[in-house]
Amino acid sequence: MNESEKKEKQEFLIKFSKSSSISAFRSLCSKILKKSRCAFLDSEYKPVKYGGECNHLKLGKYLARIKSSFLREYMIFKCSCGKICLSFPIIQGSSIYGYVLFIHLTAEPKKTAVDSARICMDLALKEFQKEQELTKLYETIRPRAIALSTIHTIHRLLSSTLDMDELIERIARLTLQVMRSRHCSIMLLDESKKYLIPKAMIDLDKEIPKTDPKYKKIKLGLKLEGKVAKTGKSVLLRNSICVPLVEEDIIGVISAGDKTNGAPFDKFELEILITLAEQAVIAVKNAQMYEEQEKMAYASIKTLAALLDSKSPNTFTHSDQFVKMVLAIAEQMKLSREDIVNLHYSALLPDTGKFSIPDEILKKPGSLSSREYAIIKKQHLESLKIIEHLEFLKPAIPIIRHHHEKYDGTGYPDGLKGGQIPVGARIMAVANAFEAMVSARPYKGKKISVSQAIKELEKNKGSQFDPEAVDAFIRVTKKPEFENMLGASA
Amino acid sequence: MKNIKRLLKNDAAKKILFFFNENPNCIDTAKGISLWIGGGANDIQKALNQLVKEGIVTSHQTASTIAYAYTNNKQIVKKIEKYIKNT
Repeated sequence: MNESEKKEKQEFLIKFSKSSSISAFRSLCSKILKKSRCAFLDSEYKPVKYGGECNHLKLGKYLARIKSSFLREYMIFKCSCGKICLSFPIIQGSSIYGYVLFIHLTAEPKKTAVDSARICMDLALKEFQKEQELTKLYETIRPRAIALSTIHTIHRLLSSTLDMDELIERIARLTLQVMRSRHCSIMLLDESKKYLIPKAMIDLDKEIPKTDPKYKKIKLGLKLEGKVAKTGKSVLLRNSICVPLVEEDIIGVISAGDKTNGAPFDKFELEILITLAEQAVIAVKNAQMYEEQEKMAYASIKTLAALLDSKSPNTFTHSDQFVKMVLAIAEQMKLSREDIVNLHYSALLPDTGKFSIPDEILKKPGSLSSREYAIIKKQHLESLKIIEHLEFLKPAIPIIRHHHEKYDGTGYPDGLKGGQIPVGARIMAVANAFEAMVSARPYKGKKISVSQAIKELEKNKGSQFDPEAVDAFIRVTKKPEFENMLGASA
Repeated sequence: MKNIKRLLKNDAAKKILFFFNENPNCIDTAKGISLWIGGGANDIQKALNQLVKEGIVTSHQTASTIAYAYTNNKQIVKKIEKYIKNT
């Protein structure tokens, strides 16, 4: 018997002697065999230590005398102090793992009692084997199930954003967390596919600014990351682990370094990082596709705006400063990213609704007659049909349609009030009014100063304008970047 | 971080720490963690919130999901390891 077999048998016996099935067996046997003590010997007849019971019984004194007599069957014998003992071999397959001894029986057991004890012993052994199998299964499956659940959670965390910068940062942070590492970096290949561009670098102890030399691009084939990106093969080193981000081609690499507890990275962690990288690639690809889609949408809107502008400059569109102002208010009001994108689309085409309104009404100074006002209302809705075929603009249409509504319900086209008006439209109404007041347009009244315009907005808070949007706008005006938003208009 | 012993008088918090000590790579939701360690989801959620406050557990939050993971702070991890060994 070699050392590992010996160790395996020893471990089996220790576990068996401590198992719940053996406690039941012992209590049954104490009834069958009339209050005996129970002990375990290994296959070389040495007592198995558990809780000092064997030492107490001083088994060693008589083991030497009886050990040659042990058989594969049960045996009744007298120990050194002359008392009756009973032994059973513990058999697994074809080998004897050890012996169970019942010591100092009050009388010699009858054969029926021995047989019953033997049956109990076999049952206890079978029960223990089942327990062992279950434990093994639990120990093998549980860590993998937890790892799988972790990957599923990561998938949920990654798929909840389409913003590339946010996504890359999130992937890096989650990698750092899962790998228990001190550093993590994510690099993506540039368009030429010759360089890796660091997109996120995280260090547990310090923030790495984008200006840090570590953010320098890496030529393919150089350094660990460059080699992984070139070969497409993961690398597992003692203190570093690097995995390629592969869709159809390699799009980048993800790497982690130095575990927080100083231990080396292992194959299980490599497996986890590979799976995490697969999730990351899907999320990155989705974000890239979304970015492309957004670019196309903006390009289409700008083309449309340019077309409208060519008919009558500054009638259907507003300045870039107006767009910035609208977005700044939206950020102050903490609108969701999706709402901000839709508001951005609307701000690029705010007055598409004026398209079919006759110029003499559009550019008329002073107040409108009720007939002219009715024409505006009708044509405003008609004009919006121009853009309703563009699917991506559909969520923006209610904002464009309702940005002439007033908070108290006296605006047009539908006389909506308060929260009935889309929040984007309430924001646009504030920025629109401000821009109109501080700019000199031929068909508008005299322009007023920024502070007067702000006072005017405050005065109409709750009647014409949403108080929350006005307050957010006032907060924007206190920011240093507000000067840039004013541009040439003020 | 409060005295660990005092913090771990809460059974749910104790279970969470034993779980993360055994599975430091894990990131899971409160519901997921309660499935691994047993116990009521509400108790686990409360204990997780407390452990986040204490800096023992970190949270990763998005609009729809909050996931929890073990701290990367070496000192805290060592302290907890020591406590668990002695338990």
